[in-house]
Amino acid sequence: MQSAIQKAIELILSGDRELGNILLVTAKTCVTSSLIALFMGVPLGILLGAWNFRGRRFLVIIMRTLMGMPPVVCGLVMYILFSGVGPFGRYKLLFTVNIMIIAQVVLITPLVIANIETYVSAIAPLVQETSIGLGLRPWQTLMLLANECIYPIFSTYLLAFARSIAEVGAVSMVGGAIAWKTNVMTTAIMLYTNRGSFTLGIALGIILMSISLLVNIVVTVMQGRLNR
Amino acid sequence: MKISACRKSYRGKTVLQCPEMEYQPGRIYAVVGPNGSGKSTYARLAAGVIKKDGGGMAVVSHEKPICHAGGSQCQNSEWRKNTRIKEILYMPQKSFPFRMSLEKNILLAGNDRQRAAKLMESLRLSSLSGRRARELSGGETAKMALARVLMKPCAMLILDEPTSAMDMESAIAAEQLIHEYTMETGCCVLFVTHDLSQARRMATDALFFFHGELCEFGPSEKVLYDPARPETRTFLEYYGGLGQK
Ligand SMILES: Nc1ncnc2c1ncn2[C@@H]1O[C@H](COP(=O)(O)OP(=O)(O)O)[C@@H](O)[C@H]1O
Ligand SMILES: [Mg+2]
Repeated sequence: MQSAIQKAIELILSGDRELGNILLVTAKTCVTSSLIALFMGVPLGILLGAWNFRGRRFLVIIMRTLMGMPPVVCGLVMYILFSGVGPFGRYKLLFTVNIMIIAQVVLITPLVIANIETYVSAIAPLVQETSIGLGLRPWQTLMLLANECIYPIFSTYLLAFARSIAEVGAVSMVGGAIAWKTNVMTTAIMLYTNRGSFTLGIALGIILMSISLLVNIVVTVMQGRLNR
Repeated sequence: MKISACRKSYRGKTVLQCPEMEYQPGRIYAVVGPNGSGKSTYARLAAGVIKKDGGGMAVVSHEKPICHAGGSQCQNSEWRKNTRIKEILYMPQKSFPFRMSLEKNILLAGNDRQRAAKLMESLRLSSLSGRRARELSGGETAKMALARVLMKPCAMLILDEPTSAMDMESAIAAEQLIHEYTMETGCCVLFVTHDLSQARRMATDALFFFHGELCEFGPSEKVLYDPARPETRTFLEYYGGLGQK
């Protein structure tokens, strides 16, 4: 076991090309999907939290349900939609990085929306009452609400990124874990472990845990700074 | 300024009922009554922050603020003439300190640095102008909120317990500012307070709410000193005594 960890660290330090490729594909997939989810989810979350329309509660329930959706289920649905016989089959996206990004966007956007909604709905009545009282326009009220959300937006982004980098179900279903093409860290761990070669798996595990640690350190440090 | 007859219920329970009211420019209307009598609800309805039962706004008509009764006291300052008039401005009981400095909070309501500086000076906020609004004390937040709402002229100013978190000295300064503002703009003021002596100092007229109903309305010499209704008399006995001038 100890030697396996030693070998894994050596592998990381040696700058192995396959490992590098896996990291690159992972970064491309997860950064893109979490950013898209952020840009779609934050405005929707603010609107959902601030605007009391009919069916709002229904939408909130849907978002919270989708937030807990198992990644494999998301992968399955996307697989069916984009397979040869599915409605989007003609785009031939299956087993590409693009479909992995799409699947992750579907998976994590509800998380962004639900998180922002929870925060906004708690402060929206007070913000709106104050803002309307000052005769500000609706768009100004929205901007003020967004300004109140800087920290939640930031921490939600990191949460979304963490979920996208940690999930294996969706990317493996639609990406197929093809070496040098669609293989990301989590799928690679599964793949190599199944083959009985633990070294690369452990190396990737170490990297994943380090990223998670880094993310949480950043969240904790930034909390005090942004939240005032 | 006319506020239509309105009723407001929460979960089937009526918390406020009030007939149509007309407010005259240049006058200060104290809204008094015990806790939970519906004062804040009335302020919110009049401010258009909440809707009446069945929907619809409570504000019916608005006229340009004109100085009342010959305008002898009305100064109609340059500031008032050069700024676009807002119809209604409202300071909620819990005003929100936005995530920015105290001064920026005040400038949100109107980008007039000179006026902001004057208001901060009067309320002794100048030394705090760069402080983050979220880190202010309750009283400081209240002073900031008052300065913020007084940045622009309006036809009707609604203040919900603006001074209840302030110390006495600040409260007096605040009253002074509100007086000046009323004179300068010729607006009508709805002033919610549970402080009877403050109501007596400030108001030309008074509305007394009790259990969600407008119990008594009239000139303050009548309502706040020698009221007709027994509910009002009981309230006055607790808070400051009847008939003392
Ligand atoms: N959003 C609300 N939901 C339910 N009840 C409310 C709400 N706002 C006010 N009330 C109730 O209405 C009554 C009057 O409240 P309010 O107008 O705030 O009284 P006050 O005269 O002390 O300002 C209280 O009994 C309060 O509990
Ligand atoms: Mg109140």
